[in-house]
Amino acid sequence: MISVENITKVLPSGKVLLDGISFKVKKGEFLGILGASGAGKSLTLRCMVGLIKPTDGQIIYSKELDDDDNPINICELKGKKLRNARKHLGVIFQGNNLVKRLTALENVMIGRLGQISPLRTWIYGFTDAEAEEAYEALKQVKMEDYSNRRVGSLSGGEQQRVAIARAIFQNPSVYLADEPVSSLDPKNAKKILKLLAPLAENKPVIGVFHQPHLVSEFCTRVIAVKDGSVVYDGDPKLSEEQLEMIYADELSSIQKEAEKMSLIKKSKKK
Amino acid sequence: MNLSGYKISRYKTPFIFTVTLIILIYLSADATEVSLSEFLDGWSHGSRLLLEFFPPDWSKIGRMLHASLLTIAMALIATPMGALISFLFGLAAAKNISYPGLREVARVVISLERALPEIVILLFLAAALGLGLYPGILALAIGSIGMLGRLLADAIEEIDEKAIESVETVGATRSQIIRYSIIPEVLPSFVANSIFRFEINIRNSVLLGAVGVGGIGYELNESISLMDYEASTMAIIMIISLVFVAERISDTIRKKVSKTGEVM
Repeated sequence: MISVENITKVLPSGKVLLDGISFKVKKGEFLGILGASGAGKSLTLRCMVGLIKPTDGQIIYSKELDDDDNPINICELKGKKLRNARKHLGVIFQGNNLVKRLTALENVMIGRLGQISPLRTWIYGFTDAEAEEAYEALKQVKMEDYSNRRVGSLSGGEQQRVAIARAIFQNPSVYLADEPVSSLDPKNAKKILKLLAPLAENKPVIGVFHQPHLVSEFCTRVIAVKDGSVVYDGDPKLSEEQLEMIYADELSSIQKEAEKMSLIKKSKKK
Repeated sequence: MNLSGYKISRYKTPFIFTVTLIILIYLSADATEVSLSEFLDGWSHGSRLLLEFFPPDWSKIGRMLHASLLTIAMALIATPMGALISFLFGLAAAKNISYPGLREVARVVISLERALPEIVILLFLAAALGLGLYPGILALAIGSIGMLGRLLADAIEEIDEKAIESVETVGATRSQIIRYSIIPEVLPSFVANSIFRFEINIRNSVLLGAVGVGGIGYELNESISLMDYEASTMAIIMIISLVFVAERISDTIRKKVSKTGEVM
């Protein structure tokens, strides 16, 4: 079980980005994190990966990140211990964060870098058996035909699938996906979620998303973040009013924009 | 509107520029004791001398070819050596993967080297090792650090931070990040720059040769001081063809590398 306990993030300027976020995630859950831009959802996920240290609070992985199944607070880790913990974290970034000049297969194999010694990395890299396994991971996301293509030459949806294959090959205890579909068209976004959903059967999957309809279709649970706090936690099917509340800031800014535009149009007519 | 201000200021800048330039030329000529009459005298003397350079002494071709090979060999050994040292300095100087203190040191070394011409480096080395091929090669190799190290460091700093971060999150160490994220991204441009540096090193190798290191530059210098001008012409022909061929080869390879991104 993963428990995020009351994490806050305050900038030196005094600006509060996270204001006491708490939630727990169990095995078998596909948790979607929703929220308007700048609400703090990606920041929460980055804290969970240990890329950002929260000002206060802790994030406890009850046994997922330790070789001996001990609880670990990722916020406290540094250096070698952090690297060791990250071996067990399957982070799925936006696909365009892959190494562009390497092939799809090589990018998938990067998933296990933390599990092999640096010396081996420099002498011969990965074994044939590992390459086979990476190929299997690509098969799972239906990208095996592109295994020797350079990632830079793949489309956004294809890159995203390679990013998922990388996490699968890593064989982590938890999957964390940071806006894995925000740069994709609706059809491709759905395909990606179809790949993510089955992963949740064995291991918790936590993803940050922008599309409430996809979340309600695939996730088993949703939390919504607004102004750095959790404002909703529960059923993935959100009502119209709830969505309006979550996206209030964004909606009002869109509305203002629309009003401005209609004003411009009106003045032109005159 | 009053145009008088514009009418004056329009002439002001070119006027100041021209006067300053004339003063500077005069002062420089005075300091170096160049005079126009001597310059013209030199020309008439020079044109007589010029005839002595022809025809080229083709009988020296074997010797000149051998000297050219020496010049090429120096550049050929020095460039990979320089590239290797530059690679380490480039890595150390890139702020997104290096350590803060180390980065400052590497930046200073790179800037210092850029300020020193190869010939100055050679004179330093010659003081310690004596003149010869070995200090010549070493000077060329060290001379590459400024350019190749700087270009590499800049290329590394331009890599998207997220591409590095995404490798970092699987628990990779710094050296693994370098191997699987940094090197693949910067290798094609580094190889292209190194080939360009090879071309520059051929030229530098001729120059260092003239100072006494050996090779075709040395032959040219020798023939002039022995007043064997026909042999000098032969050496000059060799140098021009050498530089020309090196440029063509380097152009072709560099185009191929940057087009396909394939290093091999």
